[in-house]
Amino acid sequence: MRRNELTLLPKLPLLITEAADEFDALRDAFEQEIKPRGIIEHMYVHDISSIVWEILRLRRCKVVIINSAFRSALQDLLKQVLRQPGQYEHHVEGEAQILAQSWFTDQEAKKQVSEILSGFDLDESAIEAEAITRSSSDLEVLDRMLTSLESRRNKALGCVAEYRANLAQQLRDSADRIIDAKGVLRLEDAASERSTAA
Amino acid sequence: MASEGQIAANRRNARKSTGPRSGAGKKRASRNAYRHGLTLSITSSAAYAKQLDRLVREIAGNTEDPILLERARAIAQAELELARVRRVKVALIERASAFGELDPPQAFSSVTQIIRLLNAIDRGRVPSFPEPVDSSATMPSQEPDRSAEAIRRVLPELRKLDRYERRAAAQRERAVLELSDRIKYGDNP
Repeated sequence: MRRNELTLLPKLPLLITEAADEFDALRDAFEQEIKPRGIIEHMYVHDISSIVWEILRLRRCKVVIINSAFRSALQDLLKQVLRQPGQYEHHVEGEAQILAQSWFTDQEAKKQVSEILSGFDLDESAIEAEAITRSSSDLEVLDRMLTSLESRRNKALGCVAEYRANLAQQLRDSADRIIDAKGVLRLEDAASERSTAA
Repeated sequence: MASEGQIAANRRNARKSTGPRSGAGKKRASRNAYRHGLTLSITSSAAYAKQLDRLVREIAGNTEDPILLERARAIAQAELELARVRRVKVALIERASAFGELDPPQAFSSVTQIIRLLNAIDRGRVPSFPEPVDSSATMPSQEPDRSAEAIRRVLPELRKLDRYERRAAAQRERAVLELSDRIKYGDNP
């Protein structure tokens, strides 16, 4: 039954760098938790998994955007702190560039940068702050998209609960009708019976 | 508030703005609103129509109630619409990852540049054509940096698509509620 429903639902398109089995594992985890029954519930679970997958994709992107701004952020910060009174930034540009480059590979350079920064009561979080500031316009759009996705995920979870509550009510009503009529009424025929009666 | 004289001047100026005149300009302007084709009806493709019918049948079951069938169709349509927006999103990211941007590089960024070039030819000079910028050259070569950079470059487009996606999801939720009501109350809501 589940396989049939999954083949009917459109597959989530993935980037070529994303693994289909990882998405399947994520959806299976949600299915284990929510235990969907029927095509509508499967549709919601598929939707929730797709939204969570996109949230993960955007979060990864956010981290990479900050990381890739790290070098230029460090370079700008160093230009600011290396500059002596009366000097312009271009006087220290070369030194800042070399230090920023070596910071990623050379432990000595890393130590040197830490010492320079501590002279101004700063630490590595100042580099991160500068990197975030430099990427703020992109990060703001990403955050808005993440907020929108998270709200849609929560709404979809609420929809599953609401749909189930409706279904449970329908089943209770049908059971009451069966008891009242003391007859046998097939649940799936209830709707069609009503339409023919009308 | 604008004076009568200003209003009249605005109208006179507006009459001069008659849009593109050349064939190429008109052709280009006709595709101004086209970016992802999401405003096209999804039933315009035979494959979609077939998939839609199968999904409607699965949602509605064996019922012949036309109202139930219509509501099941609304759910299926919204579901396929959601899938389509997601495909478009991925396609945009892949395209940016491959080419560095969505639009092909332009040799000229303004009409003034073209006029300058033509003037130079008129004066008998052989102008040098500007080299188009290859955006893919500025893309990181390694993953996940490349994909992240591609996403960053198409963020405005993705943000627009988010609106389509939210609308399709809302339509589906409404249709599911209406289907539940129909099953629950029949013709007596």
